[in-house]
Amino acid sequence: MSRLREPLYYAALWLISLFFFAPIGWIVLSSFKTRSDILATPPKLFFAPSLDNYRALFAKSEIFGQIFNSVFLSLGAVIVAVLVSFLAAFCFSRLKPRGTDFLMFLLLSIRMLPGPAVILPVYLMYAAFGWKDNHLALLLFYAMFSIPFSVWILKGFLDGVSTRYDETGLVNGGSWFHVIFKVVLPQVRPGLIAAFIFNLIFVWNEYLFNFLIGGVKTQNIPYALMVGTYSEGGLNWTFISAMTSIYMVVPIAFIFAFQKYLLVGMTFGTVRGEV
Amino acid sequence: MKRTSTSPQVSRRSALRSGIALGTAAIVGSMPTRLLAEDHPLKGQKIDMTILGIAGWGPSSLGVAMSPLFAEYVKAKYGYDVTFAFQEAPFSDLFQKAATSLATKSQEFNIIISDSQWLGALAQPGWILNLNDVIKNNPGLQLDWYSKAVVDTYMTYPDGSDQIWGLPQEGDVEALFVRKDMLEDPEEQAAFEARYGTRLAQTWEDFAEMNMEEFEKIAEFFTRPDAGLWGFSQQYSRVYDFATCAFNNFLWSRGGSIWDPATGQIEGILNTPENAASLVEFKRWLKYQPPGATNFGIGEGIDVFVQGKVFSQIQWAAVGTAMISEELKGKVLVVPPPKHGTGADAKRIMSMGGQPWVINAFNDEAHMRVAIDFMNWWYLPETTLEFARRGGNPCDKATLSRDDFDDINPWNRTFKYMLEDGRSQDFWHDPKYSEMLAVQQEGYSAFVTDQATDPQAVMNYIACAQQQILFDEGVAKTEPSGICAGISL
Amino acid sequence: MSLATQTPGRRRLMDNPRARVLVLLAPVMMFFIVFNTIPTLWLLGLSFYKYSLTGGVPPEFIGFKNFVGIFNAKNAIWFDLSRTFTFVISGVAFQTLLGAALGFLFWGSRNMPGRRVALTLLFAPMVLTPVATGTFFRFIYDPTFGVLNYLIRAVVETGPIDFLGNPKLAFWAVLAVDCWMWTPFMTLMTLAALGSVPKAELEAAEIDRVPFLRRLTLVIWHHGKFIMMLGILLRTIDSFKTLDLIIPMTKGGPGQNTRLVALELNKQSFESFNMGWSSAYAVLLLLISIAMTSVFIYVLNLRRRKETEG
Repeated sequence: MSRLREPLYYAALWLISLFFFAPIGWIVLSSFKTRSDILATPPKLFFAPSLDNYRALFAKSEIFGQIFNSVFLSLGAVIVAVLVSFLAAFCFSRLKPRGTDFLMFLLLSIRMLPGPAVILPVYLMYAAFGWKDNHLALLLFYAMFSIPFSVWILKGFLDGVSTRYDETGLVNGGSWFHVIFKVVLPQVRPGLIAAFIFNLIFVWNEYLFNFLIGGVKTQNIPYALMVGTYSEGGLNWTFISAMTSIYMVVPIAFIFAFQKYLLVGMTFGTVRGEV
Repeated sequence: MKRTSTSPQVSRRSALRSGIALGTAAIVGSMPTRLLAEDHPLKGQKIDMTILGIAGWGPSSLGVAMSPLFAEYVKAKYGYDVTFAFQEAPFSDLFQKAATSLATKSQEFNIIISDSQWLGALAQPGWILNLNDVIKNNPGLQLDWYSKAVVDTYMTYPDGSDQIWGLPQEGDVEALFVRKDMLEDPEEQAAFEARYGTRLAQTWEDFAEMNMEEFEKIAEFFTRPDAGLWGFSQQYSRVYDFATCAFNNFLWSRGGSIWDPATGQIEGILNTPENAASLVEFKRWLKYQPPGATNFGIGEGIDVFVQGKVFSQIQWAAVGTAMISEELKGKVLVVPPPKHGTGADAKRIMSMGGQPWVINAFNDEAHMRVAIDFMNWWYLPETTLEFARRGGNPCDKATLSRDDFDDINPWNRTFKYMLEDGRSQDFWHDPKYSEMLAVQQEGYSAFVTDQATDPQAVMNYIACAQQQILFDEGVAKTEPSGICAGISL
Repeated sequence: MSLATQTPGRRRLMDNPRARVLVLLAPVMMFFIVFNTIPTLWLLGLSFYKYSLTGGVPPEFIGFKNFVGIFNAKNAIWFDLSRTFTFVISGVAFQTLLGAALGFLFWGSRNMPGRRVALTLLFAPMVLTPVATGTFFRFIYDPTFGVLNYLIRAVVETGPIDFLGNPKLAFWAVLAVDCWMWTPFMTLMTLAALGSVPKAELEAAEIDRVPFLRRLTLVIWHHGKFIMMLGILLRTIDSFKTLDLIIPMTKGGPGQNTRLVALELNKQSFESFNMGWSSAYAVLLLLISIAMTSVFIYVLNLRRRKETEG
């Protein structure tokens, strides 16, 4: 590319990125506005910024419990899911038991149904067993929802790791567990990270399941966002904008920090180096 | 503990500081004489209660904001400690929240602020406590209610029976909020008189006598899109019961009805040509309303009114505190919504709003006891008055008949007026209300947004679908008729 | 080397290939059985019952009546399905095309200053909480207070546009938000797909002066198609399920304009609590999604098999 065209090209790319970010920018901007500035016509681009919305946000004591639940449920569920998925993926990739393809397909079927269809029988089951509003029960359900994608992605990566590693490990006297966790696991790091991030984003933002099979003790931030839409004086724009702005910091930090792995991860193991 | 510790701040912030102090003193002060006489089973214990209420709904949160007063009261009177936590969900999701919890026989929510139409759906499966015996054993709950409408709307299921399931938490009626400052502007008055040859209405009495035809002139007069001002607004939203409540104002006031509660018959009653004409009329009023009005619910309505975009709005009296914001203090007049029809035939039958308290049937003994103590406390004259002072709408005759009641809040006079029998009524309390509601919300929303253009076809569609729902449930005696085959929106 | 020194019993267990499969699969299978098999069977069973959670009467076996009812209902499932498929097909097509175009654009930008930040900004929409996004877009679309109307009217002379209240626009306005959220995902998949193309082959093609279009089909598509198809598959599945974006934006309105299958099911199951009817509806949706996914998997496997054979 010629020297003149390059800056133009980069400027265009930046503009595209900013275009996609613009609505989010508007949310963040709104979070520093007073209520009447948010509702001003015409919309205000320049205004006296204020931190009042954030102060009001943290003045509600229940918010800390909700943040804790968001973090605990999403991290816990995804860690459990990635771990058990790795074992299953290793099995599918190396031992190729009969019916592997069918099982992989069945797993994916979990993700195919709309939320209410998935949660309807689970809700009735939880109601019958008394598991509603229980951290562990909700965490395991989220983990289960994160398994299919993780198995798929990790199997792809494991298929790309030569079996020679396993064999060398076993010949050198390592146990199977040694081989699985110490030899093979580090080889599929991009897959692990990609599975981790994608599922984290899902659980982090999940509302419906939390609303229906969670309860007072387990409510997360998306729940708070849904419930907090209305304030006593109309729609609660200050709460929504401030809460959303804070809540997206974590996943955005993740995609910034692990961008490389994310891209490699989505190749489903067909690429080993940089993308 | 949380709630108790924040209560002093709440009261400090409140503009009605002295009123609260007085109220508290009165409540606590009346105790000592009876203190020794009672030996409460919960004495010395500490109970945590959870109330489920409606998010963003002033009266619901008032019930909880006042709970520290109850804690003080029982501590002094019965010697036990109680704390309250508040759980909330928006109108459209609260029944879902309550039902999914109650279906598991959970004690997650000990007391629930239910919307009036949910009574059947909560009572039928036995999720909430039947209050007949409770009321019999608690003289404090044997109140003289302001009107039969109160009993019908908030307490009784099935309709017309003597079974009591709820007690009024917040009474609510439709009111017309108008901008007094605009009405009082001499220039506006002169311009109005020049244009229509009549005087611009000024007082509560002027509006109480007004019909829609007369009101339309005012709405038209203040509709000035170029200046960003519109004359009127009401609710048309697809969400929850918003369009239904607003449309029922038209339907009932113009002589129609929605069903026959005795036989469960809907077809032939709801889908009359007269009701279809009411639907057209309901939609016609959109021309005096801001763009986007077909998505207006309660919150959206408050936003446009408070931002000064509309001159008037039919809105629930319960959100008076939000509608009359700090900037609008003294500039708003709250009046009864105009009558429909002309002359002596003019009628005014509006939708009833408001919510009852209901008690979780699965509460253990201790929580049940506290819940009943709470009800007894809630209907003490001092508590009721305090509730009104903070902006709530009580329903008992004693409080509403006080000489000073009309002056407590700007909407109180209208509230009392509209609460009288024959002026306001509620729709069905059937357990299938949610399904029936969804059908007609879709229908009304489709018509006002031009998705469906034939009003009679829309009414037929709704009537057929609702008849089918009630027939399947066994409430309606007759099956949907032949016109229902293959009908769709 | 603590892991290397396992107890003998454990070791013997893992030495048996069949036991090894069992041990490794057991955790996932347990999850699968508890949270999927049992609930799905439950769902299937309930679909033959008349069961309302709020009715206060025990479930009653009615055979296929729920299914018959669904197809005969006034607001038949067909309307919801046709809306949903319009939503899925136009949404996924748009997201794939635009996403792929953006992917190609960003492909050659390795030396771009601040590339990582730019990509993070581009990917940001897909990590937002959908319930909050939906609510806030209602505000952005608002004809009175919204910034979009303001921007449009700064350029074009027009009256206020009521995006979510106008039945001709509402569906597309919702879809636009879905596209805004998920086009970046397809860009990500495209970048991954392009990254999986071996550099040597690309360079060889360039040296041979193969025209761009042929390079695209011969080299790039050959290596990248698996990942692209996977991206399309994931988007199709997720788009079919769209719910939490629509609830705050339109709740299915105006009228029934944005009532997708997930929304109708949510209404029937968790607002009206018709558990039997909803189970039948859910079973139908499950069959549809299985059929849809099978087609994709078939295509994916076919391509893969050809690859390994060739």
